[in-house]
Amino acid sequence: MSASPSLFDLVKLHSAESASIRQAFETTGDGKAAASRRSALVDSIVERLWQEFVATDLQQPSGLALLALGGYGRSLLLPHSDVDLLFLTEAEKPDPKLQDRIRKFNQELWDLRLRVSSSTRPMSECARLNSENVEFTISLLDCRWLAGDQGLFDKLHDQLIPALVKRDGQNVVQLLSEVTKKRHEKFSDTIFHLEPNLKESPGGLRDLNVSNWLSLIAALEKTRTWPSEHNLLPSASREPVESAFEFVLAVRCFLHYHHGRDDNNLSWDSQDEAAAKGIGIPGRTKISAADWMRAYFRHARVIDRLTTQLLDEASPSPSSLYQKFQRWRSRVSNSDFNVENGRILLQPTAAPIDVAFVFRTFEFLAKNGFRLSGDAEQRLSEAIASFDSKSLRTHSLWTHLKHILAAPFAADALRAMHSLGFLVRVFPDYHLIDSLVIRDFYHRYTVDEHTFLTIESLHHLLERPGKEPPSEWESYFSGLLKELEQPELLYVSLLFHDIGKGLPGDSHVASGLPIMERSLRGIGIHQDELETIRFLITEHLAMSATLRRDIFDHETVRAFADKIGTPERLKMLCLMTYADIRSVNPEALTPWKAESLWRLYMAASNYMNRSVDDDRFHAEFEAETLQRIGDLVPKKAVELQKYLEGLPHRYLRTHSPIQIAKHFEMSQALAKKPVQISLKHTRGLYELTLLTGDRPLVFATIAGVLSAWGMNIVKANAFANQAGTIVDTFYFKDRFRTLELNPPELDRFERSIVQVLSGEVSLHKLLEGRGRTATNGPTKLQVATRLDFNNHSSSHSTLLELVAQDRPGLLYKIASTLGRYGCNIEVALIDTEGHVAIDVFYLTWECAKLTGEHQFQIRRALLEELEPE
Amino acid sequence: MTKLEAVIQPSKLDAVKDALMEIGVDGMTILEVRGHGRQKGHTEFYRGREYTVDLLPKVKLEVVLADELVEKAVAAVVSAARSGKIGDGKIFLSHIDDAIRIRNEERGAAAL
Repeated sequence: MSASPSLFDLVKLHSAESASIRQAFETTGDGKAAASRRSALVDSIVERLWQEFVATDLQQPSGLALLALGGYGRSLLLPHSDVDLLFLTEAEKPDPKLQDRIRKFNQELWDLRLRVSSSTRPMSECARLNSENVEFTISLLDCRWLAGDQGLFDKLHDQLIPALVKRDGQNVVQLLSEVTKKRHEKFSDTIFHLEPNLKESPGGLRDLNVSNWLSLIAALEKTRTWPSEHNLLPSASREPVESAFEFVLAVRCFLHYHHGRDDNNLSWDSQDEAAAKGIGIPGRTKISAADWMRAYFRHARVIDRLTTQLLDEASPSPSSLYQKFQRWRSRVSNSDFNVENGRILLQPTAAPIDVAFVFRTFEFLAKNGFRLSGDAEQRLSEAIASFDSKSLRTHSLWTHLKHILAAPFAADALRAMHSLGFLVRVFPDYHLIDSLVIRDFYHRYTVDEHTFLTIESLHHLLERPGKEPPSEWESYFSGLLKELEQPELLYVSLLFHDIGKGLPGDSHVASGLPIMERSLRGIGIHQDELETIRFLITEHLAMSATLRRDIFDHETVRAFADKIGTPERLKMLCLMTYADIRSVNPEALTPWKAESLWRLYMAASNYMNRSVDDDRFHAEFEAETLQRIGDLVPKKAVELQKYLEGLPHRYLRTHSPIQIAKHFEMSQALAKKPVQISLKHTRGLYELTLLTGDRPLVFATIAGVLSAWGMNIVKANAFANQAGTIVDTFYFKDRFRTLELNPPELDRFERSIVQVLSGEVSLHKLLEGRGRTATNGPTKLQVATRLDFNNHSSSHSTLLELVAQDRPGLLYKIASTLGRYGCNIEVALIDTEGHVAIDVFYLTWECAKLTGEHQFQIRRALLEELEPE
Repeated sequence: MTKLEAVIQPSKLDAVKDALMEIGVDGMTILEVRGHGRQKGHTEFYRGREYTVDLLPKVKLEVVLADELVEKAVAAVVSAARSGKIGDGKIFLSHIDDAIRIRNEERGAAAL
């Protein structure tokens, strides 16, 4: 085909101007300017071609108008984007001659290497919503007159589109929401991708368009006319969104030039090049690819938040059962908050929003899982900006934080706190990991998002209505989580476990510890709790490291278990490892890995329980421990040494130095008072610590007294030192609230124990006299009694592991049976899991292990004794 | 060309990878698998519950090699993966008809 002279001009014009646009972009990096200039260039080409091929002998008004749609309609055309054109006709069916002209017109554009996406539609079609093609209706929102019948365009723009929105606005919004939702689902509903699609990914350019369309539809619905203001977004969002828009446009422009086509994938190498050229960065500063992606995620987060907020606000009346449930949940509204359609609105109040209110807001969010409305975010944001970091760090901060961390939607609350700048006000160092990218093929998320996901993954282990039932492995880890005494320590450890990644250095653990220390100091956390947090963060990679070794090798297990020290810490570390791996990327925690993690946990837990007896304190090797406790009881080093000598390490690991010092003081008073008792109420349980001289049946006697008083023993530990002093601790629930409702009974209770132990009062008579119900109430789960004797785990005791149906008086029955058969309980580890009693005893008979015959007799007696009633 | 499949203890993976890279084998595929040979499994008790470990976690490594490299690769894997205990694993060799590089359709040993 021979080109007309005018086409040659256009080719030259197009080529020269395109090169100029590119050069300007490469100099300035201004994507918006480049897109604007390109749009103007195509306008001039389109106008020339229109005159030459379409309008030559057209009557005016022609009943034909040429419109720009999409990005071109917004006067922003990227280097390789499609040129979206609409030939709008008044007639239902255009004249065939006209169609021929349109075809030639389009052909010319193709010959100029412009990718044209052209359609011809009658006015009547544009005036109604086609639910099969909502994208077309949406594209009309950006329509712009290019050439032809201005009157026809004005009619569409000024009358028909507003009328369509008035009539079908909500349907358009619903369809747009559905299309957006499907698009997000294709990208797993996350902005975090190693190689995101700048246009289609959540937080990308398409989401920005959606936000603008939703705002425009809302404005059109309200006023029935096109708004005069160009920027319709919520005022609080405008600046960050404008900044995000300029960034995204610059990057998209760069990608088009980089790929030489309309390819919006931010591949690894394009990230490298964009970073090297400072694309989208103020001053075009060259930065690392990781830092550049950090900037990307910050902007994506802004866009994603805005889009989510506007989609929520625009959502129509609930039609699905879940949406009706959401509306029902607005019954949780209170004097501070109103909940509508799953969004939290702050009740109107004249009083300024203070710190306490802000905490209440996030606690409410953490408990109920709703999102903050745009207005709530704005009001909170303004208030938070006025807070002084120092004034936030009071001793009540830990109480607030605990409430948030322990609540089922803790992660959502933390995300909201983070995005509103509250988290960084409370913990200034948190900015170090804000949108921080770890650039490798394994880490999908930024460090802050990974942190929130770890907390979320643990909460997801717990049952919630509407959730899928857990997998086999999830149920095991879920069981562990429910057993934790202080889960908030685990959650706060996770909150800080990777904070060191924001600092240079080989070990993020070493870098992170000082940050954690200063962040958590002075906010009401006890010293021993801080110690646990420090331990968890220090060792949070230990279990993963051990998994790379042979987890069925005894030595591997022993070394790992010795490093961890206590069952409680082992549980926490296991869950921390579970959460950490699970939150690296969606595929990281394979069933294979979960199984290995569980097996290692089991092996280490069993080792801990089966090695208590052999692992004892010996002063000559433990100078540091002696020093640490000795500092609390000055001038008593010799006596302290004698007290500690021979105690299992389990005792030292499960008690703080302060507690051990207190027990030591109690042991020093035994000469005056042979039974020393300490009783306190903590975390819903009573904790009874008793020191006395070792003699037969002490453990059984205490268990009997507790049983006689109607107490349900949940946990207990029994230890003895080389000098023959026993240190027994019982944790129990006061089933009938005897002590709580009758404070004078506390003294009588303690006296009762002393009297029975000293022989003044008969335990038998005490048990007879009480006669309370012997059951915990009906239970669906029947637990078969299981006994396992083991003569190999300990060098000088027989290990008995017993599992049975828990019931009041159980421990007394077991201990007294063992006593009847002459067994000395060297160590006892008593635990309860729901209705299951799980007890471990280290037994000797006349200072030796139990023979096979002896074990057989005890087994028979226990099975008989523990026969269900 | 020969395909070498090795089922090894997971704890030996790093050593085997390093050993293969040292003799010039760069590309490999790693799979997390479960299985047992003579090692069989065992029963573990934890808090009164029985957990049967009949299929043990292993790692399967697959590489396709030029024939002249096979014996060296076998020796490298054996040396790195061996502990001397039951459960060390096994190596299987099989013939490969052809290999094609997807990017540029190169064939044969050149595609390895």
